[in-house]
Amino acid sequence: MQAVNKTFKERIIDFTLYCRERQFMLGPQETRDAFEIASRGYALDRKLFQYSLKAIFCKRKEHYDRFDEMFDRFWSRYYEEKLEQRKKQVKQLKKEKDVDTVIFLGTEFKIPKKKVEQEEAKQTVGANESLRLRMTDFSKVDVGDKEKFEELAEELFHQMSMRFKRRLESANSGQIDIRNTIRHGISKGGLLLELSRKRKRKEKRKVVFILDVSGSMDTYSYYLLRYILVLKKYFKTLEFFTFSTELTHVTPMLRQNNELEILKEIGKNVQSWSSGTKIGASLTEFLSVYGSKFLSQKHVVVILSDGLETGNVAELKEAVRTIKRKCKTLVWLNPLKGTQGYQPIQTGIVNVMPHLDAFESAHNLDSLLKLEKILMDV
Amino acid sequence: MNKEIDDLIKDFYKHDYILNEALATSVFLLKNLGKPLLLEGSPGVGKTVLAKTLAQHLGTDLIRLQCYEGLDVSTSIYEWNYQKQLLHIKLFEQETDKKTLGKEIFGMDYVLKRPLLQSISADKPVVLLIDEIDRADEEFEAYLLELLSDFQISIPELGTITARTKPLVILTSNRTRELSDALRRRCLYHWVDFPTKIGEIRIISKKLPDIDEQLATQVVTFIHNLRKASLHKPPGIAESLDWAKTLLLMNQKNITDEIVKTTIGSVLKHKDDVEFVTNRSVQEFLVPID
Repeated sequence: MQAVNKTFKERIIDFTLYCRERQFMLGPQETRDAFEIASRGYALDRKLFQYSLKAIFCKRKEHYDRFDEMFDRFWSRYYEEKLEQRKKQVKQLKKEKDVDTVIFLGTEFKIPKKKVEQEEAKQTVGANESLRLRMTDFSKVDVGDKEKFEELAEELFHQMSMRFKRRLESANSGQIDIRNTIRHGISKGGLLLELSRKRKRKEKRKVVFILDVSGSMDTYSYYLLRYILVLKKYFKTLEFFTFSTELTHVTPMLRQNNELEILKEIGKNVQSWSSGTKIGASLTEFLSVYGSKFLSQKHVVVILSDGLETGNVAELKEAVRTIKRKCKTLVWLNPLKGTQGYQPIQTGIVNVMPHLDAFESAHNLDSLLKLEKILMDV
Repeated sequence: MNKEIDDLIKDFYKHDYILNEALATSVFLLKNLGKPLLLEGSPGVGKTVLAKTLAQHLGTDLIRLQCYEGLDVSTSIYEWNYQKQLLHIKLFEQETDKKTLGKEIFGMDYVLKRPLLQSISADKPVVLLIDEIDRADEEFEAYLLELLSDFQISIPELGTITARTKPLVILTSNRTRELSDALRRRCLYHWVDFPTKIGEIRIISKKLPDIDEQLATQVVTFIHNLRKASLHKPPGIAESLDWAKTLLLMNQKNITDEIVKTTIGSVLKHKDDVEFVTNRSVQEFLVPID
């Protein structure tokens, strides 16, 4: 064991904060473990230190894939950049009299008290920033925010999938399990004090997602696609189709566990990406080819589209009416609904509205998360 | 790298397991920090074998708990030996008062130890493998939290049983479902990926010393190209080894269309996947990869 100097401990804490900002699940225990490996001298070897922190800080594959780059950025380039920035700031601040001492990344800086307060204020807007990003329309994500937005989306979608998973089945009803009742009775001297019951298995949920990937949906389809991939983990029988001018059955491309590979696969195989919109024709094709297999009173159909139909509106109306008749619930998610002043007055939407069970927006992370309730009740 | 880690890699190699530096560091931390290690990865990448090899390396026992849907406390932790309890009641019901009798039959002598309890009551530290935890129910996962953080188990009639010696715990998951954050936070984490081409050739050569280098290279190239294709079940290292073994037994020097058609069953386990490969020329899968 060797004593870890204060400066290095502070660097580790900074790295923990840096990772936490990037949605790593880190608490005091992980920081303590990091101190522990530093005190054992593992930090003297860069690779050993990197792999050790990787094992401690990463909790999921998504973290694991990003960690090495983050480690390099923080402990080399990032650190140097930050140091340079700080040095420049110090030069400017030297002129001012009212100063305070701040230690950042192991370097002592004299910063005026007023400035310190300002810096602190900037640090505390983290929660507000998350909220801002949650409310940002997918089509208006700033290039500078892209990375943070991606990380936030990943974390929120992960949390959502965990919430879905936690809904437990009740085991207090159902038929009496005689075998277990007697078995439990043995410990009570043969008295059957408690009745065991067999858990009735819940019927598997069946959901069909039909995503519009036409040009007008370009800015939304990527996030909606990722949202569906998260739901795939929860719904055991999820069928997924994309359409623009033609319909593609995407479910066979979702076999792999790796989200990135799935996205690559879809990108490679869906030919009609970013082309025109023929909702009616695509839904008619869905009905004729897949309708008998994927439509029943156990199915919920979710159509994700802006409803800007360029084809035959009558065909669209008829297709939606038939789908509604054949499935349990029909939901239409429209990213445009979140736009200020939006009115569902387009011919396509007006015609299908009477057949929908729900018509919701899907333009930002917040609106997607609000859909949980509808999908949980499925 | 650290000398202890180098030694670990060498010793695992002696036991036919090729560790890379990152995985060796995780095993090293498991030994030194005493935290459970969660291994995730596709089936057949060597997660379970790692636990077995660790037990061999330490010269200790491996206690394995295979998880499945419906796994409960009585199968994984403990169960009362009801027959013995009933016998005791019958033998002593005349001589002993009820209160004492009750105390007697709920003692450690009447407990049937299941893998988790066995692992914390062993005389020397053992390796506890909780295999395919993603197959178990969430209720069981929650029960494990106490064991993984404090190395203790609560039995209502007996109280809390604390570990005499801390087992080295390895959990594996194939990611068929997402594990809870609470469980993940109690563990060190390592994603076990498929090995690199050179790494896999080393594994095959180590396990099958008689194999020709050219054949080993062809097997690995073929398998790596298969993994890139969109198959229902991409082959793991175990499948590579099985295939290499089969080809070796058949005295093959090269992979041909004919040989693929007759032996591909040891690599692919799904009808569609077999058709996908047999409908194509073998040369498509022998294209050199980076």
